[in-house]
Amino acid sequence: MEHKMTFDSIWEQEERQSLQQRLRQDYPTWLRRRRQRRTALASIAVLAVAGLSIFNFQSSTSKDYDYVACNRSGIAEGHWAKVASNILTIETL
Amino acid sequence: MKRLLFILLLPLAFLSCSREVEEVPLYRQYAARQDLTVAQVKGFQLCDTVKTDVVILVADDSAAWASLKEEFDIRTSEGVTSWMGNIEQPAQRVKRSMRPAWRAMAVHDERTIAFYRIDTEEQREALLDYQMNNLENNK
Repeated sequence: MEHKMTFDSIWEQEERQSLQQRLRQDYPTWLRRRRQRRTALASIAVLAVAGLSIFNFQSSTSKDYDYVACNRSGIAEGHWAKVASNILTIETL
Repeated sequence: MKRLLFILLLPLAFLSCSREVEEVPLYRQYAARQDLTVAQVKGFQLCDTVKTDVVILVADDSAAWASLKEEFDIRTSEGVTSWMGNIEQPAQRVKRSMRPAWRAMAVHDERTIAFYRIDTEEQREALLDYQMNNLENNK
């Protein structure tokens, strides 16, 4: 029994030392990978925000109006800008 | 990381929610009418630097058009009738120099009245230029 306990404790100690050694070796790698993962995720988020902002900016600058409100649904916004433009092309002067 | 994403995405969420439509009183006044299709074009571009707001009333049938004509004191029955209207009561005619005002154009064939808001001299000139340029291009 005493022998078994000794064997167990030695085994446990070895296992602990082995684990500690592995940790010492792997921890910097793990830290580096974690940093890389976080940087990659942050870059993706920044790119997504920048991309959407550029898209929003382009869509707002390519239109000849800011926005349209209508009391009826199903009519395209662009239709009303066209009506506003067309009426000005009718000869009235 | 979550905090970083939150900080980055918060302005985006704000931008997408901030496009709340600001309705002008003229639009609100007619939007509830069942016999009219009413639209408001905010920031209609007259030229590179000048924008204005436009309110468009379209009568759905001849009865609605007759009613609109009466409300806005339009006495002709063909072509285009235009006038400068009081900013609060667009049916009321005002002097061309009055600011702010609506430049109203009623198109009989289309049963449509369009109101172009004029607050500044730049807007008035840009509106005139827009008409003139388009007329020249259409010739």
